[in-house]
Amino acid sequence: MPRVLLIEDDRETANEIVAELESRGFDVDWAASGIEGLDRARADEADAMVVDRMLPGIDGLTIIEVVRKEQVTAPVLVLSALGAVDDRVRGLRAGGDDYLTKPFALVELVARIEALLRRPTESRDTTLRVGPLELDLLERTALRGERQIELLPREFRLLEYMMRRKDQLLTRAMLFEEVWNYKFVPRSNLVDVHMGRLRRKIDRPNEQPMIHNVRGEGFVLRAPPPA
Amino acid sequence: MRLRLPDVVRTTTFRWTLAVSGAFAACILLMFGFVYWRTQSYMTASIDRLITEVANVVSAPDAASTARRLADHLKTDPRHVKLGGLFDQDGHRIAGNMESPPANLLPDAVPRFVTVFRVDGPQREEDIARAVARRLPDGSMLVMGHDADELEQFSRIVEDALLLGLVPALCLGLAAGALLSLRAQRRIGEVNRRVQRIVAGDLRERLPAHGTSDPFDELARLVNRMLDDIEALVRSLKGVGDDIAHDLRTPLTRVRIALERGREKAGNLDELRAAADQAIAGLDQSLSIVTALLRIAEIEHSRRLAGFGDVQLAELVREVGELYEPIAEDKDIDFAIDAGGDATVRGDRDLLFEAIANLVDNAVKFTPQGGRVELSMRRVGDEAVVRVGDTGPGIATDERELVGRRFYRAEKSRSHPGLGLGLSLVTAIVKLHGFRFTVSSGPGCVVEITTHQ
Repeated sequence: MPRVLLIEDDRETANEIVAELESRGFDVDWAASGIEGLDRARADEADAMVVDRMLPGIDGLTIIEVVRKEQVTAPVLVLSALGAVDDRVRGLRAGGDDYLTKPFALVELVARIEALLRRPTESRDTTLRVGPLELDLLERTALRGERQIELLPREFRLLEYMMRRKDQLLTRAMLFEEVWNYKFVPRSNLVDVHMGRLRRKIDRPNEQPMIHNVRGEGFVLRAPPPA
Repeated sequence: MRLRLPDVVRTTTFRWTLAVSGAFAACILLMFGFVYWRTQSYMTASIDRLITEVANVVSAPDAASTARRLADHLKTDPRHVKLGGLFDQDGHRIAGNMESPPANLLPDAVPRFVTVFRVDGPQREEDIARAVARRLPDGSMLVMGHDADELEQFSRIVEDALLLGLVPALCLGLAAGALLSLRAQRRIGEVNRRVQRIVAGDLRERLPAHGTSDPFDELARLVNRMLDDIEALVRSLKGVGDDIAHDLRTPLTRVRIALERGREKAGNLDELRAAADQAIAGLDQSLSIVTALLRIAEIEHSRRLAGFGDVQLAELVREVGELYEPIAEDKDIDFAIDAGGDATVRGDRDLLFEAIANLVDNAVKFTPQGGRVELSMRRVGDEAVVRVGDTGPGIATDERELVGRRFYRAEKSRSHPGLGLGLSLVTAIVKLHGFRFTVSSGPGCVVEITTHQ
């Protein structure tokens, strides 16, 4: 069971996060103040940390900076009510791995923690495989079984990102940030439209679907169950 | 607020004037003292030289000739200043106009001030004089003197001059000080009153300025300009506040209704979920309004150009095009992207992307099915123009100025969902870069961002 250290001073928010994470099978350790959080973070027992940016007594970013200096490598998700671009950059520069602006959907939080915990190792493989799907990173070609799939450059990147994170829930915001490299979503259905196109190319009507739309949450790429 | 004299006396200006007047008076006194001292000693020295000379001339080896010479000397004395006396060893007068030898005058010493009695006038007369004494070989003593009245008169002149000069100067200084501090106090009093009104919330109040170029007026004008800006800001803030209140109320009301209906009417879990989904959608919309407003404020107020770098505009335009192409296609809109030649501008890549994406988003949103949206980037001389044109309803001429304002939605767009914040975001981004933003009409609406190199 992955252990998550949550440093958050607002009791109500913390309770919701703890309940949600525990229901998803995480072992959550909650620190309600910056000082307490810093002590537990230094113990380096967590697999991932969720740190609120603004804590009484000590700044969330300071905690991250301190534990990073002490060689604590567990990935950190920074929570903040400050959405400013500047702030985000500062959070990531301090040693955070991802940044989530309050208020957020719990699904988004869980998806991001999962993503941090299962960060794909930088493999030297030049071919990614998920079920019948095969992506050649050098030749820039995609195959489903015997079928050649024609992909636009952006679709290729989208598929690569999803294949590296198979079986993980990927939210729209995550996809937009990682695949398009932009931090804002002009409208929420932009990602859906692009995903729809990719899906029509990957999942033909007579094939087992691999790209799944999790209603209201995001998308998952899964290998079809063996027939 | 009337100023009474005690108030004036207590002001700093007045105290300074007082101090300066005091110093001034001390200087005058010092100067007069110096002149007095120097002149006095000069005159005394001349008298001393004169009487010593006369004593030398008058002295003769015997008393008789000395008496004769003395009488000759005293004979011509129109100014009534010559004094002289020849006395025998016992101090009895032999000749001259002095009653007796001055008590403290030693023979053959330097001249000094003495008190003598003149006897040549109608009556005996006391005189202060400068005198020198000589012992003659026969034992008699010659005393030559000179009236010191001149010196006294001179010191009286100096005193008079001092009074005539110093007293008016002091009075003038004090009066000027009182007047200046009264004036300053009046103006400051006026400023204080007005500032208090401003602090109390009356932002239309201004400081008094008389259109002169004195520093006080310049300061007042500067403060007034600042107040103009603050007033404009507060007004726009208030306007924005009203708009936010209005635009947040709409989705929040929907949330409330959805939740209320869900609680009262939902018969099963699915219906309750549907109500919750509706409520979440409403909350998301409220949150996106807040987020968008914060972003606009952030961009408008960021003076930082840290995120600036060289941006390949054509590539950026192509990326936006690529992002929206499927959406246009889904809506059966003919989407033409033309980003030929390249232009490199200095700017924040993310923000420029956001601005162009917003324009394209609007164009795609307002263009009806089967319409056409054109996105292009071309160079015109030194400038690059990013142009988004559509075949939508367009924006009426009288509304073009307004579309950049927060929450403003053109009449024809009211039926479309939106926050009314897109174009104010674009305006803020364009302003930050120092670019130009124009709205005009083609078949539908044409918006252009013009950069400068």
